[in-house]
Amino acid sequence: MKKQILYATAALLVAILAVTACGGGTTPTAAPPPTTATQPTTAPEATTAPATTAPQATTAPSGSATKLQLLGWSSSDAENNLLNTIVDQFNKSQTQYTASFDPSPNYDQALQTALAGGAPPDVFYVDSLKFPDLMKNNVLATPPANAIQDPDDFYPSLKAAFTANGTFYCPPKDFSTLALIYNKKMLDAAGVKPPTTWDELKAAAEKLTDSSKGVYGLALSADAARWVAFLYQAGGTVLDANGKMNIDTPEAKVALDYYTGLLAAGYAVTPDKVDSGWNGEAFGKEKVAMVVEGNWMVPFLKSDFPNVEYDIAELPAGPKGKATMAFTVCYGVPKNGAHLDGSWQFVNALTNKQGMKEWTDLGLAMPTRKSLRDGWVQKFPNLKVFLDGADYSHPWQFGPGFTVVTDAINKGIQEIAAGQATSESVLKTVQKAGEDVLAQ
Amino acid sequence: MAQQAQAIHVPATRAAGGAPAWLVSLATIFRYLILFAFALIFLAPFIFAIANSFKTAPQIAQDALNLIPNPFTLENYLKLTRGAANVPLWTFNSLLFAGVVTVGRVFLCSLAGYALARISFPGRNIVFLAVLATMMIPGVVLLIPRFIILKQMNLLATYPGGILPILVDAFGIFLMKQFFESLPGEVEEAARIDGATPFQIFWRVSLPMATAPLIALTIFAFQGTWNELQHFLIALGPTARDLWPLTLGLATLRGAGVGQQLDFGLFLAGSILMTLPMALIFIVFQRYFVESSSHSAVKG
Amino acid sequence: MATTNIAGQRRQELIAGYSFVAPALIILLVFLFIPMFFTLWMSFRDWSGITPPAESGAVGLQWYERLLVLDNVRRTDFFTAFKNTFYYALGVVPTQTVLALLLAVIANQQLLRFKGFFRTTFYFPSITSSVAIGLIFLWIYQSGGILNQVIKAVNPAYRNISWMNDPTGIIHNTLAVFGLTLRTAPAWLTETNVLGLTLWQWLSGPSVTMTALMMLVIWTTAGTMMLVFLAALQDIPRPLYEAASVDGATSVQQFFSITVPMLRPTIFFVVTLGLIGTFQVFDQMFVMTSGGPAGTTTSLAYLIYRAGFNDSQMGLASAISVLLFLIIFTATLIQRRIFSDRAVA
Repeated sequence: MKKQILYATAALLVAILAVTACGGGTTPTAAPPPTTATQPTTAPEATTAPATTAPQATTAPSGSATKLQLLGWSSSDAENNLLNTIVDQFNKSQTQYTASFDPSPNYDQALQTALAGGAPPDVFYVDSLKFPDLMKNNVLATPPANAIQDPDDFYPSLKAAFTANGTFYCPPKDFSTLALIYNKKMLDAAGVKPPTTWDELKAAAEKLTDSSKGVYGLALSADAARWVAFLYQAGGTVLDANGKMNIDTPEAKVALDYYTGLLAAGYAVTPDKVDSGWNGEAFGKEKVAMVVEGNWMVPFLKSDFPNVEYDIAELPAGPKGKATMAFTVCYGVPKNGAHLDGSWQFVNALTNKQGMKEWTDLGLAMPTRKSLRDGWVQKFPNLKVFLDGADYSHPWQFGPGFTVVTDAINKGIQEIAAGQATSESVLKTVQKAGEDVLAQ
Repeated sequence: MAQQAQAIHVPATRAAGGAPAWLVSLATIFRYLILFAFALIFLAPFIFAIANSFKTAPQIAQDALNLIPNPFTLENYLKLTRGAANVPLWTFNSLLFAGVVTVGRVFLCSLAGYALARISFPGRNIVFLAVLATMMIPGVVLLIPRFIILKQMNLLATYPGGILPILVDAFGIFLMKQFFESLPGEVEEAARIDGATPFQIFWRVSLPMATAPLIALTIFAFQGTWNELQHFLIALGPTARDLWPLTLGLATLRGAGVGQQLDFGLFLAGSILMTLPMALIFIVFQRYFVESSSHSAVKG
Repeated sequence: MATTNIAGQRRQELIAGYSFVAPALIILLVFLFIPMFFTLWMSFRDWSGITPPAESGAVGLQWYERLLVLDNVRRTDFFTAFKNTFYYALGVVPTQTVLALLLAVIANQQLLRFKGFFRTTFYFPSITSSVAIGLIFLWIYQSGGILNQVIKAVNPAYRNISWMNDPTGIIHNTLAVFGLTLRTAPAWLTETNVLGLTLWQWLSGPSVTMTALMMLVIWTTAGTMMLVFLAALQDIPRPLYEAASVDGATSVQQFFSITVPMLRPTIFFVVTLGLIGTFQVFDQMFVMTSGGPAGTTTSLAYLIYRAGFNDSQMGLASAISVLLFLIIFTATLIQRRIFSDRAVA
């Protein structure tokens, strides 16, 4: 009897194995080798200058091209597809390298793991917020001379975001600012004009809210990257002129009370309240009439919610005037990359005047080069608002380790909205968190 | 045969023992009610998930409780094979990892568990304490150091790199040791006197008695590997798409960055597809689970 | 003669013992032990996780000081995560153990019909991947999701609970029914600061969202635990029950006087497993909540992940890991003591 049981167990194991083996037979086993950066690094072509290997590259079969990995993230399939068109253009323009874009979930972890393992991606996104952390850890390669075409063409503030100790480390891929995006039909139906001040915003949101229908004036996520714009509008700051934490101020309290007040009054909702993953989705589903978002909304709405009629206005001015946030990402090259020449060639192709024009002409993001500004505005007159915002925008960058502080802000907004904390206590906590991080 | 007679015997005695027949049947009805209620709780999420995975996005949003998709669409499933998603290959990888790890664990853990329980060798307690201690290490602690070790061994983003670190787990050893300790020693002693080697005793005498824990171990190992996410994310890396198991692949469906759009149709289809092979294996071999469980009840 | 025999047997046992244990031991050594000591070493260093580990600076006990002694953001985060994890374990372990035991006892009846159906059904959630279940429940738990729809159908007065985004603690919510809120609570509750949190914050209980995750986990694991209990139940000799029946013991009496004592090692096993598992909880947070809302589902394991991979503070993450290890170790020892005391009594 017991032996039978043992056999039954054995049979089960064998069966499981058989199932896996069968799976092996039916699955395409000729899958290409993984396109990781952990490739044979001995390929001589990769380490020689592109110019000298050009003839070699043209004769080489396309299969032997060195693979380059671009690690990043994408906000939507729409963005993903657009970037792939640009990457494909690079691949067609030369035969030596084949680049591929790898949008990774949990980007921070993916990047850190890759860098820690010494097998970094050839090119990777660097968020302005994280740039100080990467500099602290000394992982970015210094660009060789002339690797970045006409560096002075970049907007000074964006260039500054990726400059440390006088070195401009990586060219910004594009940038976005926050603006108020509103649903035309909903505003017309309610007889509301796009708000230009905080008071108007509150009144408009109130008028547009019909909670019985599950429709709200505004989607506001509990997100430091949105609230900080309100903070600047109220005349507050995150850091003072000396780089000291300075957020526990009356101005910050005004901004925090206003922001959480909209949520508490029910004129604004966090996106989950309307079953959405982020503000843009809530807007697309017409559950909210307004959102504070950037130009990434444009391709997203075009592909996922083409029937929503919307327009874009500047963020309403606060008690101390207009302010918005500027988000930017650069193409970083790792110090210990395996194909540095290829990396820089690729980065240059993506960010030189021609590459930048092709990329930004797709309408997702704004050119970081001054020389492209006029052409872009002509092409996308309706998106001019985003570009105008650059004049009064603040960079999304503070110091190394600041994710702890932005986390504390996110947490605080949620706690206040849930009646679990007061704005005074939250600002104290955030101030303390910032001081702790800066002291490290 | 014997156990059938016994089985009927038990409630019969109890009924005769005092409680009136109507009370016994009331209790029986009550018992079934509880069991069916829980069965419903355990099944309902899957039933609704299956139904909704065949619906269009607006239908999921507005009519989720309806079990009949109208219109019926396979779109959510088709999306799983498009673009970056390669669900067939990921399924194969998941089965491969789970299969190999299961066989390895069942053998290595019972071998080690047996030695710790039945063979008295110097240092045994220290070894066992060490094994017990590893059980308490939060897996998340080990990720980075383990990553570096895998890198040093050139096993990153390879199948062995995905398998080796989880081939043995302390829990399995613990389980088998607990079991072997509960066995009476006489049979082994007899075999030893007959001149059997320790491995022969283990393989021919003790292991065949260990059906129940072996089955439990098989189940735990297969299911644990099938569910594993963290380890594969580190060992295979965020870019080795062709080696990914389903868990890792499916986790990417949530996308990344600011736009974490909730495409529930896609989530549900992915979840169902991922559950399906496990469900099939389980249903096909369920007979073995149940049979062996009831057999092992008849001790001796 | 006899002595050489014994010596020979000893040697044979030594060789056999170590050769049986060796393969498992080597794998544990390379992939568990060495990393464990690596973690301990790392907790005394300031390593970003990016630069080569050897280049990191030694910081002594600084991380432990920040986590346990100094009033700063790390300590608050650590004890918040500790609180979250503690409430989580407190809710999950007893519930899943008792539920699994009851289901096993009910399902173990000899004359049960549809036995296969019940076993399959109960066990099914636990064979499903946590990622798949996480995604399914993310959908079920939506504000307009089917859970709220079902509750609303039963009770039309019900106001939708935002399951995945409600940071309010369930003890706080209960107190609020009696009029005790942050605004009305006495100052000694809201002002007294213990280890970076006010007494009021300590009292919160698991948040609504954490409770939703707890329900999900109990739902998932009860089946596995039930299977372990079922296997053990079948090892209890039938004659014990028969004798008790003859003596006139009711089923309830039999349960407490035979089943529970006979299952004591299994209960110990299940509770140990449960404790270790709950203190390491990670996947649900990773797939469903990212530790939110308001950090109320940030478990210690998730905090380690955040500190290590989002804040690039591997040294800090390692120090939290060491502390988590100690917490689990202590909890298991205490639990072991309780169980052995009962055995004596």
